[in-house]
Amino acid sequence: MNVAHDPWIWIGGLLTVCIFSFLYRDNPFYKFAEHLFVGVANGYFLTFTVHRVLIPNLFNPLFVERRIFFVLPLCVGMLYVMRFIPRFSWLVRIPIAITIGYYTGAVIPATVQADIIRQVQGTILTPQNFQSWNAGPAGTIWSVILFIGVVCTLSYFYFSREHKGVLGVTSRIGIIFIMIGFGAAFGYTVMARVSLLIGRFQFILGPWLGIIE
Amino acid sequence: MKIIEKLSRLDRRIVYLVLAAAVLLPLVIPSVQKVRVMTPVAKLFKAVDATPDDRIIILDFDYDPQTLPEIEPMGIALLRHAFKRKIKVAVLSLYVQPLGLAKKALDQVTEEFNGRAESREDSIIYGRDYVFLGWQPPPIVPLLGMGISITNVYTRDYYGLRTDSLPLMLKVKNFNDVGILVSLSGSTAPLYWVSYSQTRFGVAVGAGITAVSASEFYQYYQTGQFSGLMIGMKGAAEYEELVESNLLLKDRRKASEALGSLTAAHLTMIAFIVIGNVGYFIRRRRERRQP
Repeated sequence: MNVAHDPWIWIGGLLTVCIFSFLYRDNPFYKFAEHLFVGVANGYFLTFTVHRVLIPNLFNPLFVERRIFFVLPLCVGMLYVMRFIPRFSWLVRIPIAITIGYYTGAVIPATVQADIIRQVQGTILTPQNFQSWNAGPAGTIWSVILFIGVVCTLSYFYFSREHKGVLGVTSRIGIIFIMIGFGAAFGYTVMARVSLLIGRFQFILGPWLGIIE
Repeated sequence: MKIIEKLSRLDRRIVYLVLAAAVLLPLVIPSVQKVRVMTPVAKLFKAVDATPDDRIIILDFDYDPQTLPEIEPMGIALLRHAFKRKIKVAVLSLYVQPLGLAKKALDQVTEEFNGRAESREDSIIYGRDYVFLGWQPPPIVPLLGMGISITNVYTRDYYGLRTDSLPLMLKVKNFNDVGILVSLSGSTAPLYWVSYSQTRFGVAVGAGITAVSASEFYQYYQTGQFSGLMIGMKGAAEYEELVESNLLLKDRRKASEALGSLTAAHLTMIAFIVIGNVGYFIRRRRERRQP
């Protein structure tokens, strides 16, 4: 056993124990660790924003290099502060409108192309899609299952008609696909959470207590 | 029957203790688990391996402490792969929290390589073999701006050096000089690279993601939008296996070491689910029989 001498590792280890103590019940040690994390994360973010974003991208070009054009983004950004002055609070709409306008323009074409068109293309039964599964002749079967799954699941979310007849059958098949999807997602969630637990135990047993290498 | 009923009504704290024991024992008494490499990981390895000499790879380190155990081994395995193959690397983060973790991974792998280097040529040198571009918010700026000019988006690197003065960046202009971009993330960052950078500039994108978000990402792999995919600790272990078997690198494999615990924890969870359900059905049958 080779216990750590580095105080930072001790701090990390003790904070981990504080957080784990919540598994027994809520307590002041857990609350302390939680609040410390939120405070440190915010401080870290704020410091980095000032030193790595505002100073090199705005203050230095404007005040050191004297590039007067940078007054414009400074003024637009400062309008956000107007929110705190009731008489001029309406001015905050200007930077919000610019941000929303820019993001809407950038997001809509990208989302339609990447999330809708390409996904629909990937569902259509074509020889290329059969090969995309890398499963040889079985690729065709997987593609057909995928196609049935997408159509039936979509039909389950069609609420403009009562789920009877053909729509009733497809929506019931859709539910089966949805349930399988939930099951897979739950299995993956368990794997993810257990992985985090393993990571913490590797830290406690390794760098902190020195029980494992 | 009474035992089953008692087990199905166990205090949750006992469940935690049993789970903790299932995770701890394989760590203390290590067991060798054979790692079977799945196609999505093999395709990612192949895509990174096929990077031409005149191109670089970009590694987007976008994991934070919450997802560190799953994603960090992926980043380390990718860095080992790139450095061993002498593929030039640019590392960046779309968010601020991962910066320290990215630096930690870079420091670890460069120390590994430089520790056994016999000459300057064998060494991994900052600016020549890799650069750490750092963080440039908001994410949409690098996502779109790097398609035009990487050094214009990241004027200074993580250490405050001008990127256009770094030898590696003199040869790299934009996404046309990038073989593949691999996004390692516990969030939806890999999808941003697909939606913006790939749709607009056609850059190849690979992803290393947490297991919890796997079902969200698989469809993008099926359509070919992701060149390859690593999922959770298992995906990281598979990449470690490929790096060791193909490149003969015998470094520590943190994800592979954890597979014993992962298997034990899964079996424990399955056992608890089965016991809980059996107990439920027994109780329900007894309640129905009672008048």
